[in-house]
Amino acid sequence: MKTTEEILVRIKAALPAAQVELVLNPSPCAQHSLRVAPASAFAVARFLREDAELALDYCSNVTGVDWPGKEVTDKVKTTKIVDGVETVVEEAVKRVEPGCLEVVYHLFSMKHSKDGAQVPVILRMKTENRSDRVELPSLTPVWRSADFQEREVFDLFGVVFKGHHDLRRLLMWDEFEDHPMRRDYVDPDDFEYEPTPHDEVLKRAQQHAAEGCL
Amino acid sequence: MVSNPYFPLVVLFVAALGFGLAPLGLAWLWARLVSPQKPNHIKNAIYECGLESRGDAWVQFRSAYYLYAIIFLIFDVEAVFLVPFAVVFTGLSAAACVAMLVFVLLLAEGLVWAWAKGVLTWS
Amino acid sequence: MAVEPDLKIELGKQGVLVTTLNELYNWGRRSSVWPMQFGLACCAIEMIATTMARYDLARFGAEVFRPSPRQADLMIISGTVTKKMAPQVVRLYNQMAEPRYVIAMGACAISGGPFKQGYNVLKGIDRYIPVDVHIPGCPPRPEALIHAFMTLQKQIDAQPLTGEGRPRHLDAEAMGEFPVPVQGAHDLEPPVNSLVWPLPAPPVPGANG
Repeated sequence: MKTTEEILVRIKAALPAAQVELVLNPSPCAQHSLRVAPASAFAVARFLREDAELALDYCSNVTGVDWPGKEVTDKVKTTKIVDGVETVVEEAVKRVEPGCLEVVYHLFSMKHSKDGAQVPVILRMKTENRSDRVELPSLTPVWRSADFQEREVFDLFGVVFKGHHDLRRLLMWDEFEDHPMRRDYVDPDDFEYEPTPHDEVLKRAQQHAAEGCL
Repeated sequence: MVSNPYFPLVVLFVAALGFGLAPLGLAWLWARLVSPQKPNHIKNAIYECGLESRGDAWVQFRSAYYLYAIIFLIFDVEAVFLVPFAVVFTGLSAAACVAMLVFVLLLAEGLVWAWAKGVLTWS
Repeated sequence: MAVEPDLKIELGKQGVLVTTLNELYNWGRRSSVWPMQFGLACCAIEMIATTMARYDLARFGAEVFRPSPRQADLMIISGTVTKKMAPQVVRLYNQMAEPRYVIAMGACAISGGPFKQGYNVLKGIDRYIPVDVHIPGCPPRPEALIHAFMTLQKQIDAQPLTGEGRPRHLDAEAMGEFPVPVQGAHDLEPPVNSLVWPLPAPPVPGANG
């Protein structure tokens, strides 16, 4: 069975122009993944499926990950006038690194499945940011089982898959506007009732009683 | 009147009618006296598994069903006519036989036409 | 003009049945409660098991599960009610002919159950339609569903024909049409039907319970 590094070497040999890199997994399971750039994703997927030795013809799972934006503090050397003297001062500059959405594909090979338990080949793709540039190529033409799962990722994360034949919401209704699995999703206030409320629920219940909503 | 041989039949007929109509009458009376009518828009709406029904229910159905039923009916009625004829035809004249034969041949022609049209093959 | 129970039993021993119209009407109603074929999730499997040979719900009068709401008396909400499905459930309840009853089977139908914090889970179907019997459990055993059925039958038996406590279908002022929630941009609108589910006041923090 090929390790992720060997698979990366094979991909680079077959498609030199593809931008693929190894993402190491430091945990004991050591399931490393391959991050592929959106532009070369389709070609890489095609190769992974059609290569005789790899034959990764079964995409068992497509899921999404939300990497929220981070506030990063850089220490920058700038020249400033301090007490009338020009000195080089180190300043802390805050900036916000835009987060991104990531789509993860788990691939198996049905053809080469006779050597027992298989470790999936994991493919990752990142979007540019979380707000407006959220398009990724759809891998449904390569693996049909990605069809509904990409719809689910679109529904719950907001990733728009280009090339998907029918990208609609799957779990939520069509008029729904949020993406529930994002980290900044706030549950709507639907008058949750608990017999012994505490924390958030108690606060909201008292607020409702005070406002006289019901 | 009681000695009339049809009298028991009349009694049974009235009883059968009553047996059917009495529960309906009682239900109607009950509904008028006790149960208030509570119609509303959704209760009277067309059932479509909980969804709002879209479009018309008038769809084009397959004519094969209709033709199957019609052909069965025709030959069933023909059999109903043939059965009493079959019982007494030995006592009838030859002209009666010919008339019946014409009747059967007319219907057979209809069958041949339907067969040629391909109606008898269910696709 | 009710007859005392002892006299009734005595007459019954002699072969004379004495009853009132109310009793007869309620006996007819409770002995032939036909449920609707309506299962949403895991509790539906238990409901199916209850109708099968070992637990046999049919011997209590639930002879046949009707596929159409027009012909059904009882709606057993068995399973998680998602917000996507909730308008359909309410519409089906509205399409049932009176008299109609609801059993909320399982924790999910009562209050959202183990999935209460889910983004698509309705926190209990009694927010939109009136429920007669709630069965706790995840899932409740078939015996629990039979117990709920018998509880419903006892409830029906105790209903008078006129006056206070008469059933909803004999009450001209009782709500007949329950508004169907609309799937809005962030949640169902309205999130709860306050005529059906009045929100109780929260307990004072620090007090018992």
